[in-house]
Amino acid sequence: MRGLFRWSSKWWPGVIPLAVLWAIAAWTTTVPLEADLTAHATAALKDSVLDKTVISAAGRDITFSAEAFSEQGRSNAVASVETVPGVRQVNDGTTLVPEAKPFVWTIERDVAKVTLSGSTPLPVVKSKLLDAARATFSGIEIADQMNLSRGAPPRFEAAAVLLINQIGRLKNGKVTISDATVNLSGMARELGGREAIAAALKNLPEGYSVANEVHAPPYIFEANKDPVAATLTLTGYVPDNAVHAAIVASAGRKFFGEKVVDKLKASLGAPTGFDGVVTRALGALSRLSTGTLVVSDREVNLSGDALYDAAGNQIRTNLPKDLPQGWQAKAEVSVKPAAAPVDSTVCQQLFADLLGKGTIRFESGRATLDSDSVGLLDRLTETALRCPAATIEIVGHTDSDGDDSFNQSLSERRAQAVADYLVKAGMPADRFKPMGYGSAQPIAANDTDEGKAKNRRIDFIVRQ
Amino acid sequence: MVYLAMFHWGWLLASLLLGLAMGWIAVVHRGRGVSKKTTRWLSVLAVALIAAALTRVVPGRFGYWLDLGLVMFAIYLVGCAIGSWLRDRVVSRQAAVS
Repeated sequence: MRGLFRWSSKWWPGVIPLAVLWAIAAWTTTVPLEADLTAHATAALKDSVLDKTVISAAGRDITFSAEAFSEQGRSNAVASVETVPGVRQVNDGTTLVPEAKPFVWTIERDVAKVTLSGSTPLPVVKSKLLDAARATFSGIEIADQMNLSRGAPPRFEAAAVLLINQIGRLKNGKVTISDATVNLSGMARELGGREAIAAALKNLPEGYSVANEVHAPPYIFEANKDPVAATLTLTGYVPDNAVHAAIVASAGRKFFGEKVVDKLKASLGAPTGFDGVVTRALGALSRLSTGTLVVSDREVNLSGDALYDAAGNQIRTNLPKDLPQGWQAKAEVSVKPAAAPVDSTVCQQLFADLLGKGTIRFESGRATLDSDSVGLLDRLTETALRCPAATIEIVGHTDSDGDDSFNQSLSERRAQAVADYLVKAGMPADRFKPMGYGSAQPIAANDTDEGKAKNRRIDFIVRQ
Repeated sequence: MVYLAMFHWGWLLASLLLGLAMGWIAVVHRGRGVSKKTTRWLSVLAVALIAAALTRVVPGRFGYWLDLGLVMFAIYLVGCAIGSWLRDRVVSRQAAVS
């Protein structure tokens, strides 16, 4: 051992080449060592959820700055870097992601661009939202202006993805989640979009409240009566197939002389009371010689020519009456120039033609005129006005059901109801002679429903 | 430390060989050694440097270079000790034979 001390006093000359070696080693290894440690530290943080991560090495010291989403995550990340082999110490520059209060997230859509902005809780949620936006708006530019913040409401991701899908139904609009309050505004791309969105919003996670201010394009129904082509063209929308069938059937009864051209499409989004209003307005249209009916949302517009003065007045007064709440109606009805007078024979022929095409209907077993028959009654009135000198017998007939005295009385009362309708048009009551024959003069056998229907009729007979 | 040894094995091996050579020579070297006073001062310097390394007061690259230097120096000393011991055994055996 003593020898070792003695010899060691002579070891110093080797220190000079050692110092040279050291200098060369320091010169050549520093940069590779730093790169190696940085790579290992980055790999160690692979599973940590961090934002704005910056890692740099100086010698064996790592400077590490990042924003973490929880205190636990932050300290775990620092510990992972500290345990990387070769690291001497870690200069910890980590912070927590700022907390947003209120936590606001927005998606806005205009014609050519979709912008996502505001706060999202985690990078993975952010990328999921962007993916959802890309899937919903393929081919549209998507701008990401989202930042990361703490303080998101529970189940934020589910709510946001659902809302991204809903904004796909809008032509333009904006959705905002502010804490647990959702605001939607904008214009639906299609009819029924507003209703579809309202239905989907019921699936929002519990605890979210919604203010839905989405507008939809107007719900339009149009009917055009063209006397030249003898057609009634129905276009636009109806709520469903049942209403569709009901409206077409009702149009068929009201427009006895016209062919119904049905171009209606079914769509959600009809205003409440739609079918009732449309049926009534079609009744008013049936009284016009030519005309157009437009129902746009809750607004009814009827324009055209009435057959005679009194009809024009009745339509203008009756159409806006008794509409459901919120509905408005406007009738711009003028009166068609009176047709040239004709002699009684032609008049009789015209009555026969009209009654050959359509039948005056009454409520079952009663003498109240069916509203589907006003169009026909107006035609008959117009014809009666063309032969002012003629006296007209209005003859009621029934089928054989029920007892004879009831049928007799019913046929008389029905003939009287028709005469009253004609008198209301401004003609003197003494021109009309209502009479009834009960079931005494059938024109068909009463053993089938069709035969009975033919027998229930009103005939017009012109006398000089 | 294991990481440093693995990363720098070439340089450490060179230090060890340098130490072995120096130790081998030192036994029969006739020149003057370092005086006791200087040795003491050098020891104090070494202890101070080791303390600085252990307490990590030297930051960044300088800290790394200090660590590297101390490790190389320690290996060099080990090499010297082994070299001198081997040479001493060889010299003793030769003396016994003659």
